[in-house]
Amino acid sequence: MDDERRAREPHAVTAPPGATDSVTGIEGVTGPGAGAHLRDHLEREMRGVRDDVLRMGSMVVEAVHEAVEALVDGDRERATAVIVNDVRINDLQAAILVQVVSTIATQAPVARDLRYLLALDRVTYELERMGDHAASVAKQAQRLADDVPPGATRLRNIGLAAAELVSDVLRALIDVDEEAARAVAARDDDVDHRYKSAFDHTMTWLRAEPNRLADGISLLFAAHDLERIGDRATNIAEDVVFLTSGRIEDLNP
Amino acid sequence: MVSDLREGIALTETTTTTSASDPRARIHLAVDRPDGHSDDHDTVVEFRGVSCYYGAFRAVRDVTLSVPRHEVTAIIGPSGSGKSTLLRAINRMNDLVPTARTEGAVVFDGLDIYAPGVDAVEVRRRVGMVFQKPNPFPKSIYENVAFGPRVNGFRGDLDELVERSLRRAALWDEVKDKLRSSALALSGGQQQRVCIARAIATEPEVVLMDEPCSALDPRATLQIEELMRELSERYTIVIVTHNMQQAARASDMTAFITMDEARAGYLVEVAPTLKMFTNPEDRLTEDYISGRFG
Repeated sequence: MDDERRAREPHAVTAPPGATDSVTGIEGVTGPGAGAHLRDHLEREMRGVRDDVLRMGSMVVEAVHEAVEALVDGDRERATAVIVNDVRINDLQAAILVQVVSTIATQAPVARDLRYLLALDRVTYELERMGDHAASVAKQAQRLADDVPPGATRLRNIGLAAAELVSDVLRALIDVDEEAARAVAARDDDVDHRYKSAFDHTMTWLRAEPNRLADGISLLFAAHDLERIGDRATNIAEDVVFLTSGRIEDLNP
Repeated sequence: MVSDLREGIALTETTTTTSASDPRARIHLAVDRPDGHSDDHDTVVEFRGVSCYYGAFRAVRDVTLSVPRHEVTAIIGPSGSGKSTLLRAINRMNDLVPTARTEGAVVFDGLDIYAPGVDAVEVRRRVGMVFQKPNPFPKSIYENVAFGPRVNGFRGDLDELVERSLRRAALWDEVKDKLRSSALALSGGQQQRVCIARAIATEPEVVLMDEPCSALDPRATLQIEELMRELSERYTIVIVTHNMQQAARASDMTAFITMDEARAGYLVEVAPTLKMFTNPEDRLTEDYISGRFG
């Protein structure tokens, strides 16, 4: 990623240069034989889909960051931007679906190529829902902006941990790395733990501040949204396992 | 059951079991069945270490493969990998090439059809064949279908047999009013279905199809594929195809063969078709079906 883009999109997850010979991470054991050029079009289309999924992922990670910062800072404008930008995430999902459908219809991919496209489509579904969770957190941030409860900082920590899982699982997706994906799924326990702790803390706070019941409920809703983002990162890890091995596994039983 | 193939010789029956279950219901994407054997289906044709030669050239090398009864088995692979040779080994069509020689055993209903004393003509009656280009005889539709039964001395109701064969070939409604017209006046897809009716008129157990749709348009192709599905309820179908989507659409089992450095075809992988096209075991198979070579 070039410096300019890094400055513009601090949360961007991009494919490393030179790692694009085969987007699915599989090199023909027979080498680039007579049929290699037959795949140019398919590889190009799959790369296009992958890059859009990464773009979508970057937008989601950014949205989570912005939502929790808006929550902690009581920043209404920042929260509004997250809610407004969610439409762009949704639009990108729709655009990716069109690309996936047209690639399947025109290229008739099979085996790992097919699993790759199906997995990417599933990933966009998870990312779209993550965007919704971030927007929900932003809505609670708007509600709480006048008097931010002390528990908001704990929510930021959940959000940052969950966003890191999203970045890392997208990295595993680019690298087509099953082990890395499993490692991400295992780390969702940390997010769950933070959620549980924030939940308990909020309940304790509410006992002391019973007149702020509505604010406490807002915090709990927001915390739950952030916790769900970690679960959805695990779902993406399952998609990575599917595309690399063909196995359908529950990594969060 | 096979005594008419080889009179006076004791038969070694292969172990057979049957199942009423739909083969497609047994196939799951994630289920590992690298050997591709259908444990709950019996085998009608079994290749045991089969090698085929044309003179000194070995076209097929050491193939061991089971063809399950009442299923469609597709053989895919690059040009020149020996697909057709392997197919023709099932009805001893290779015998018609003077220099051809087959090693190993092709076991049909428990009997090695290459064993001494086996009547190749009887083998071919029990194993019908449909070729790449529709090749009806320059006779009427009726005579085309009646030809095999007449040669075999059929004594029943020939009209009924012709109608039944044409119905099973999904052609009856289109030709019932012009049975005495020349088969050559039909469209390519209809001619190919005449050839299928001709092949099944002798009540074979197995029907071999060597690129049966390569000369047909997409609609006629889909009709033949649909027909293969229907025929597999009564017959075992083995098809050679270059069209991988055809194998994916129309077959239950897929065998992939490719050739080694000496250009001899060998079996890389055989598996339920769904597994083969979603998650093959062998990287060579993945490369071939994904267009990485060939």
